[in-house]
Amino acid sequence: MHSKASLILGVAIMVLSGAAVIIALDWPWKAKLFPLVIGIPVFCLAMTEVLWCVFGAADRGGAMDFQISAHLPRKVVLVRSLRAAGWMIGFFGAIVLLGFPVAVPLFVLLYLKLQAQEGWGLSVAMTAAVWVFFYGLFDFLLHLPFPAGWIQTGLGLA
Amino acid sequence: MIEALFAGLLAVLQWKAFTFMLAGIGLGFWVGLLPGLGGATTLALMLPFVYAMEPVEGFAFLLGMHAVVATTGDITSVLFGVPGEATTAATVLDGHAMAKKGEAGRALGAVLMSSLIGALVGAVALAAAIPVVRPLVLSFGSPELFMLAIVGLAFIASLSAQGGRGMLRGFLAGGFGLMIATVGQDPQAGIARYTFDSLYLWGGLDLVPVLIGIFAIPEIIDLAIRGTSIAGDVPRGRLNQGVLEGVKDTFRHFGLTLRCSLIGTFIGIMPGLGGAVAQWLAYGHATQSARNAEDRANFGRGDVRGVLGPGAANNSKEGGSLIPTVAFGVPGSSAMAILLGGFFVMGLVPGPDMLTKHLIVTFSMVWTIVIANIIAVGACFLFLNQLAGLTNVRGHVLIPVILVLVFIGSYTSNNHYGDVLVTLAFGGVGYLMVLSGWPRAPFVLGLVLGKIAENYLYISVARYDAEWLTRPIVLVLFAMAVAVILYPLVQGWRSRAKGETHA
Repeated sequence: MHSKASLILGVAIMVLSGAAVIIALDWPWKAKLFPLVIGIPVFCLAMTEVLWCVFGAADRGGAMDFQISAHLPRKVVLVRSLRAAGWMIGFFGAIVLLGFPVAVPLFVLLYLKLQAQEGWGLSVAMTAAVWVFFYGLFDFLLHLPFPAGWIQTGLGLA
Repeated sequence: MIEALFAGLLAVLQWKAFTFMLAGIGLGFWVGLLPGLGGATTLALMLPFVYAMEPVEGFAFLLGMHAVVATTGDITSVLFGVPGEATTAATVLDGHAMAKKGEAGRALGAVLMSSLIGALVGAVALAAAIPVVRPLVLSFGSPELFMLAIVGLAFIASLSAQGGRGMLRGFLAGGFGLMIATVGQDPQAGIARYTFDSLYLWGGLDLVPVLIGIFAIPEIIDLAIRGTSIAGDVPRGRLNQGVLEGVKDTFRHFGLTLRCSLIGTFIGIMPGLGGAVAQWLAYGHATQSARNAEDRANFGRGDVRGVLGPGAANNSKEGGSLIPTVAFGVPGSSAMAILLGGFFVMGLVPGPDMLTKHLIVTFSMVWTIVIANIIAVGACFLFLNQLAGLTNVRGHVLIPVILVLVFIGSYTSNNHYGDVLVTLAFGGVGYLMVLSGWPRAPFVLGLVLGKIAENYLYISVARYDAEWLTRPIVLVLFAMAVAVILYPLVQGWRSRAKGETHA
């Protein structure tokens, strides 16, 4: 898992830094000085990492960071990761389509009912609490502008 | 001088100034807890309210609010792995790891006590350093500040992972962060770099959405994968027991706490580096304090020293960054630049007058930092057990609430949907980094330092050509960077040699 993910990251950074250097070559020196000073070494380091992943010994380097639940089977980790990512992307989609004021309570209620499989009592109470907090603090007190969603705008409701 | 010191204390304790300070502390308390609502933004929002106030009252309100933001920001970082503030991201690494081990109480006790000590050190530095700080600030030009940024990056890149491979990934992550920082309009030539005709990218990538994404999203996914509470199967009773232990940890590692406080103060004094840098340098120093490679391997997995360092530094920097603001009118950070506006709103001009005619106001600022932090930490300790108990709530119930905070926090940094997208994208990057064993800290420091380093490099080259490389302080800092890179390699080699001798 370590090496495969590292290879993906290494290749991605190699491609990005290579492209960044090529794009920067056309700029005046004031603008390209820093991107070149950084981009070229980053490209070389990324290439070293990629070569290490492909030809090097088994990966023993560890970062000072937590590790994603290593005790669970890989398939379970993959399925649950994708499901979590799906909820996040869905929430973002709901925000764009319906706007924050509608998407926030809708997301909390759906997550608690469908994913967490909580009872109606807790789900409704938590949804109400989160909405009151959201509306009370960000809308009522701070007057932050939360635009209406594309659907409301499209229907002329906003 | 002593008379002015006491007069400053009495001025803060006047009922009106004290009430304004309490209001500021209350506001700062919640701003720190909520991700995305930044301390600098809130300072700007509150600036118009000080028009009618006396200087001591105005600073009691503004500084009282600003002084506690980093303290409560640490709480969110420890409990949920979501940085409450950009300046409290480093606390996530070990603080949240401790919370996952069922040691939330201990982590909170440690971070709050170290924050208090950091704030006190910063305040003492502010009081003591004003007459002597001028030569220090003036001896650091653009070349020295650029090299200081490089030393910081070398520090964290070489120490945040193990072995040669880890170091390679550390530098790669740091370089990637510096590269990402070049997105947006170039400050010298005005060229739009890597913006792909998107107006959103012209201003560059905002730090807050990137930070929230890179730290919070992987933690949320991990919580969803585990399907338990943050503290896992640790019984509830144990969570509340560690607070006192965390306080004791601060005094067990008092030297480290003090050194990290001084690092924070020093970074605060240097104009332009900012608080987000101080915490990472302190974290780098904390990891460097490990006795050997095995000891260092505990960092990132819930080592209390990784909490004490950033906790102390991000509070001590406030006193430090006030020094150039008050003495020369040169703000040490964006928050201080806004506070500088407060000086003019209240009819004060920073500079020599603040050390003579308005010395009482200057000392009232010192006392405000001290008193505000004591009150905030005291208030936090009252609720610490309940806060630690949150780590025992079922993960599935917490996830939607944390996600709402993450998305709102990200959106409110610029009121743009692009920020939420950036959070999701960098959440993916952060997840891949954790999965592949790449350190996230150097990436964040690279991103924070990118724009600053570019400006200083450009000015150095434009002003001195290649000669800037031969300036004495630059050479000393370069030697420090080399030593910092070689240190973990030598340490690893020595511990291997020792192991072979024993075998």
